[in-house]
Amino acid sequence: MYCVRCGVRLQEGVERCPLCQTPVWNPEGAAAEPSFSDRYPDPPRSRRYPIMAFIAALLAAVSLSCLIYCLTNEHGVSWSGYVMLGCALVYFGFLFPFWFKRREPLLFVPLAFLLTGGYLLYVCLKSGGRWYLSFAFPVTLLAGALTTAGVAFFRFGKRRRLLKTGILLVVIGCSAMLIELFQCITFGGRMFTWSLYPVCGFSLIGLFLILCGLIPPWREYLERRLFL
Amino acid sequence: MRLDNAALIFPAIRHRRWVNVFRVSATLTEPVDPAVLQRAVEELAPRFPSMYVRLRTGVFWYYLEELSAPPRVREDYAYPLTLMQEKELRSCCLRVMYFQDRIAVEFFHSLTDGTGGMIYLKTLTARYLSLKHGLEIPAEEGVLDWRETPGAEELEDSFLRHSNGVTLNDREPNALRLRGSYEPDFLHLTTGVIPSDALVEAAHRHRATVTIFLAAVMEETILRWQAEDCPDRRRRRPVKVTVPINLRRLYGSRTLRNFVLTLNPGVDPRMGDYSLEELCKVMAAQLAAHGTPQEMAGRIAANVNPQQTPLIKAVPLLLKNPIMRTIYKLRGESKGCINVSNLGVVRLPEAMRPWVRRMEFIIGTQRSYPNNCSVATLGGETYVNMIRNIRESELERRFFSRLVELGVPVAIESNQQATKNGNRRTKN
Repeated sequence: MYCVRCGVRLQEGVERCPLCQTPVWNPEGAAAEPSFSDRYPDPPRSRRYPIMAFIAALLAAVSLSCLIYCLTNEHGVSWSGYVMLGCALVYFGFLFPFWFKRREPLLFVPLAFLLTGGYLLYVCLKSGGRWYLSFAFPVTLLAGALTTAGVAFFRFGKRRRLLKTGILLVVIGCSAMLIELFQCITFGGRMFTWSLYPVCGFSLIGLFLILCGLIPPWREYLERRLFL
Repeated sequence: MRLDNAALIFPAIRHRRWVNVFRVSATLTEPVDPAVLQRAVEELAPRFPSMYVRLRTGVFWYYLEELSAPPRVREDYAYPLTLMQEKELRSCCLRVMYFQDRIAVEFFHSLTDGTGGMIYLKTLTARYLSLKHGLEIPAEEGVLDWRETPGAEELEDSFLRHSNGVTLNDREPNALRLRGSYEPDFLHLTTGVIPSDALVEAAHRHRATVTIFLAAVMEETILRWQAEDCPDRRRRRPVKVTVPINLRRLYGSRTLRNFVLTLNPGVDPRMGDYSLEELCKVMAAQLAAHGTPQEMAGRIAANVNPQQTPLIKAVPLLLKNPIMRTIYKLRGESKGCINVSNLGVVRLPEAMRPWVRRMEFIIGTQRSYPNNCSVATLGGETYVNMIRNIRESELERRFFSRLVELGVPVAIESNQQATKNGNRRTKN
């Protein structure tokens, strides 16, 4: 019995050519002898869940012991509030997604930044600071927006990775100036004391990647060298 | 026991897509008796102390620890080279399996290479047949005397002995990377059974050895495929085939541990088209030029020298692993498209021949090599095993069809009938 397309001889009883999937005319209908058993190995057991449970227990223990210490010694939730909410932030913002088999980063990344914003608000209110609205909130928002945009960039379509990375780096560099502006508004001081360094560094690397993304010979050279 | 020089890399680069396991198997003329096989496995334990080991993690290096009890034989799975998980490696790095009339042994690559694995399988099969049928099989043709104590030369790390100390700095361009739709938890195995006479005749017609001929056909197949996919010649990438070189033949070593290095002969399609004759010529010339004992000693030194540097020795394993992975990705895996590993003609003692129908050698896929090809010959039949972890069978189709075009008859067998989800796995 031969495959009419590939010209190779096939095992008796196969329904299709294993190479080209061309159906085989098998009038006698005899089934092929299996060359392997139908036994499958156990799926790889993930070590993630025990580790996650251990971290959750550890965070809960730290939070609880701090709370008990504060209640007995300081008769109220003083600094233990920072610790408890910090632990909650670490758990729900950064570890919680790992409980799920399929983690949707476009959902969990904004959630992490939202929770970070909430935590900073608590710290600001508790410490009586006036830096939340003019500094912490816009910087968290900016960082969250940039990270989510980066995730979305690479999640939807893996093409033009160099171009996307370049654009992202330029935007990250430029956003340093914005952060310095918020810093000046909130805490005072002069503009352009530190932000020019990340702007220059990120923009140079970003522009180089953008050029590589736009000029095919450069892109191919880089992809070949880096084995992308 | 310390890992040999080549074995050091395998635990570090272990990955779900690259399990670093290879298989040798013997198909008998009768169904395998698992109880007798288990006895044979147990009796060989003192003879092969380097095989009955488990992988342990040290502070600075991985190491191998001898097993207190030999492994249990088990029924084969639905596909070869299933993932050897960390837990399994910590208990045993060797699997002995049976299915109907086949005995298969799967080795974690840190233990040995194909040649060492085949010696173990032949000795195991000989012992099994002796126990089952009372055959007197002499210790010849790669079958070892199971009562002997292992010699020091069988357990040595031959890399250390044959390094010339001068690092060979051989920078080569990266090769084309074959791609496809990754399929987890299954490996497709397609075996081409070829009459050896026809294959040797076709190879000689092209003035090449069988290994060079098969590697050249593989290279031609990939070149043609790339030409169809990428009409602009300037954008094509070098096509290179990774060919393992058995260093035992070069240096007369008798080690049962790893003693193999690879070369990546190939061509750059931007220079022009190559006929199969030219590819055979180029490949033979490159293998002859770079496969000399002197140059291989330099390649060995390039691997051995870093291992012996005190600074690198002092780096904890936790840091060494990612560094080794990165270096291997940039300098090792990126240099070839596919492995063509030929174990050659498997010779058996006269008393064993009527009982053994076929012997095969299968290597696993790698992280950057979704396809791999391994070859072994027994009793006038050559078994070309092509394995893949991707859905598309295009490379196998082109490769075997090309062999048919060249007048080499090919009979195809595949494990696709035994898949869990039936047609889904066989769809192209």
